[in-house]
Amino acid sequence: MRTIIPAAILLIALLAVPPFLGLGWQNALVNLLIASLFALAFNLLSGQAGLLSFGHAAYFGVGAFATLHLMIAVEDGLPFPTPLLPLAGAGAGLAVGLVAGVFATKRSGVYFALVTLAIAELFHSLAPHLQGWFGGESGISAMRMPWGGFVFGSLLEVYYLTLGWVVLSILVLWAYTRTPFGRLTLALRDNEQRVRFLGYDAHAAKVVVFTISAMFSGVAGALLAISNETANYALFSAHVSAQVVLHTFVGGATIFLGPVIGAVVFTLFAYIVSDLTRSWLFYQGLIFVLVMLYAPIGIGGVIRHHLRHWRSIDWSRLAAPYALAGVGGAMIAGGVVFLTECVAILFGEEYAVAMRDAGDTLPPFEMAGMSWDPLGPASWLPPILLLSIGGLCLHRARDRIKPLWDAIEGGAAKEGTR
Amino acid sequence: MEFAIISALNGVIYGLLLFMVSAGLTLIFGMMGVLNFAHASFYMLGAYIAYAVSSIFGFWAGLLVAPLIVGGVGMLVERYLLPRVHAHGHAHELLLTFGLALIIEEAVKLFFGDFPVNYQMPESLRFAAFSLFDTNYPFYRLFIGGIAVAMFIALWLLLSRTRTGIIVRAAERLPAMAEALGHNIPVVFMSVFGTGAALAGLAGAVAGAFYPTNPNMGLELGVIVFVVVVVGGLGSLKGSLLASLMIGLFSSYAVGIDWSLATLFDLAGLGGWARAVGGLITMEVSSISGTIPFVLMLLVLLIRPAGLMGERN
Amino acid sequence: MSLLRIEGLHAHYGKSHILHGIDLSLPDGAIVSLLGRNGSGRSTLLKAIMGLVPPSAGAVRLAGRDLAGARPFDICRQGIGYVPEERLVFPNLTVAENLAMGVQKARPGVPEWSVAEMYAYFPRLKERRAVRAGYLSGGEQQMLTICRSLLGNPRVLLIDEPTEGLAPRVVEVVMEVILDIGRRGVTVMLVEQKLTIALKVAREVMVMGHGEIMFRGTPAALDEAPDVRRNWLEVA
Repeated sequence: MRTIIPAAILLIALLAVPPFLGLGWQNALVNLLIASLFALAFNLLSGQAGLLSFGHAAYFGVGAFATLHLMIAVEDGLPFPTPLLPLAGAGAGLAVGLVAGVFATKRSGVYFALVTLAIAELFHSLAPHLQGWFGGESGISAMRMPWGGFVFGSLLEVYYLTLGWVVLSILVLWAYTRTPFGRLTLALRDNEQRVRFLGYDAHAAKVVVFTISAMFSGVAGALLAISNETANYALFSAHVSAQVVLHTFVGGATIFLGPVIGAVVFTLFAYIVSDLTRSWLFYQGLIFVLVMLYAPIGIGGVIRHHLRHWRSIDWSRLAAPYALAGVGGAMIAGGVVFLTECVAILFGEEYAVAMRDAGDTLPPFEMAGMSWDPLGPASWLPPILLLSIGGLCLHRARDRIKPLWDAIEGGAAKEGTR
Repeated sequence: MEFAIISALNGVIYGLLLFMVSAGLTLIFGMMGVLNFAHASFYMLGAYIAYAVSSIFGFWAGLLVAPLIVGGVGMLVERYLLPRVHAHGHAHELLLTFGLALIIEEAVKLFFGDFPVNYQMPESLRFAAFSLFDTNYPFYRLFIGGIAVAMFIALWLLLSRTRTGIIVRAAERLPAMAEALGHNIPVVFMSVFGTGAALAGLAGAVAGAFYPTNPNMGLELGVIVFVVVVVGGLGSLKGSLLASLMIGLFSSYAVGIDWSLATLFDLAGLGGWARAVGGLITMEVSSISGTIPFVLMLLVLLIRPAGLMGERN
Repeated sequence: MSLLRIEGLHAHYGKSHILHGIDLSLPDGAIVSLLGRNGSGRSTLLKAIMGLVPPSAGAVRLAGRDLAGARPFDICRQGIGYVPEERLVFPNLTVAENLAMGVQKARPGVPEWSVAEMYAYFPRLKERRAVRAGYLSGGEQQMLTICRSLLGNPRVLLIDEPTEGLAPRVVEVVMEVILDIGRRGVTVMLVEQKLTIALKVAREVMVMGHGEIMFRGTPAALDEAPDVRRNWLEVA
């Protein structure tokens, strides 16, 4: 119940603020919402049912294409309400998800992941050749048509449409987790054999979950199609499938809203950082791996952990080591970014030209508005210092944080507060 | 006829290349239960390192050094990264290797750029092996096949005839018991992972000089390799070999086949109608040759889900 | 001096506390039987000594040297052998290869065993040396796994329920083998369900209950302690 107030505040903000934002931010918000829905749909399968899918782009993509075809029909005169367009995405996602699910759930674990990957690749390799359905290599385009007094020409209207559908979908998905079947989904993850022994057809259950997950992925794809008014076969790429996996697990797969947190963080990250450097995908991968290594429950998991033990936390003792850890982390991030950007510049085309012009020596290069000599210690000292001092800080912080948390968790275990 | 023979040769060699990469993957999975998503990245890494080394020290140096470096990377991953996520289950191991694949791909782009590099075979190997029906068959293709066969024989001998092979085979079934008999199984695991990685790296170093070397090569081959292991049965070397050859031959033949479903309709005199319908029906097998492996995989799943050589539970 | 001493050993399976502070010392060159009901922690004790279950507290001293926390392969190389309850022959390896897996260097002052000796002992194994171990009968597998561990020239041999599921005649053979091993000077800790066998073979018996040692003494002493038998061994 205490989540209702923050949720309400957030909703009001999402409703009231965007008209005052620039187009760039409105666009970012639309993409953020779509990514959140996609991640939630994905997590239904992976976090709740324990079936890790590496090819969810397939259902996202078919949702987008189906919606565009419907939009073309509406352009040609079909009296279909524009706000209901995502239903096409839902339908396509459901249909394709059903067929794919029957195949994929025949296997489990690693095999399942591989099959889903291959199904997505099937679409990815087939689509460029199918002119009618997927528009071949250039894709399909359509325009949003007016309906019910709304023109749907401005980005703001698209935003509200997207927000409406995403909120509705989140509520439905949330309600789903409260149903007996929703519980059964969790049971599939934890102990499939027991589910079977209880008399349920596990395979059928898995197919149902797969289908629902694909359906909502299709809705997300539909929203993208509506917003972009175009789609091509690149929507089926492994990159799209990878993104949703990243979002979900960085945010935390075991918490309902975890994927949303991940989607928000990474979408904003991409939005802000991609303007600054071309290496942002590298940073994204690095962040993902670091989260997997050091915070496998994800950001959402870490937050929930803190909320759970809120009363037992003695902030006067925890604040300092946390600050130290923050400083250490920032320093290491700085050092890594420094090195990465140097590499990007030194191995880039411009520098190759500069090298040739300078007679095959190593001339200084420009970075962040300053000039650096590749061989001089002034260039290598900063990152080395940042990395080593940052590492020391983190180490120290960890040594002080660990016993504090051990005590908190030990106390909780004794009290039986879990 | 010419088409049949050349396609068969190409298919077998491509299949052997697939096997070089999938052998490591299937070995690692069979032993440690880890599906290394970064395995195809090791392939790509091998190609790029070979390119970098060969630019300075020559082709053969690159061929030698690349597998060693990639093998080393593999050992580091197994020793320092995998154990951290092991406690959280197979899903997290999968995700970690997935993240590694992303990082490796982006790192390659950082150093070498987001476009193909000019990794070429040496002049000494650039000749025709023989002439078949007026076409010169490049020796280098046979070279690729030869390396793959040599590797397979070496692997088989190692596993079946040496004491190390016995330990590896024992550890594959009952690692705890093998360790309780005094064998350093952690080192064995690390070596198997490293060897698998080195094999993929060698495949990349060899193939990269013939096929295009670009940042996408990991993903492109990776998906096919995954199909190979699903079809062949994860953990089964023989299954991998069989599936690799099958897919190699299928893909190779499909490229030259201009039939489509419409051709079938021709037989019933309905060709004209079929072509008017268009779409999937008129799609030639040759243009969707890239999709053949996936169709094969779906078929195998329908008929025999455990893969060709089954799997051990 | 006792070759194997265990001090305050605790072990957990996840959150379950199985061993509650075991203290024992094995007399050199003796066969000691570990008795107790299912679930009393006997197998876990052997596994904890072997490092297959990491001890949560306490020490395992082999000739004074604490092995608690070491990896199983280290513990084996120090001279502790393990014959598991499930036999665990490598089913995909031949008999000869299984034996090869057990071979270690000879140790000074420790009884040495050779493959030729094993084959002389068990002609059946020699006959089937090229057969995959998965195809052997239960009795043959038991022989194989005992031989395999012996080839490591252990100072201490931990054996877990070797006669389980075996025909009476094979049980006799196993008993003879264990007695032989003891005569050669290897210290043996034998977990055994069948009371009669345990008493025949062992010089000393220990009774475990709820993860602790409840009784220690000669077989004769156990005979004269009906309440111990009733509380910790017999069906309630």
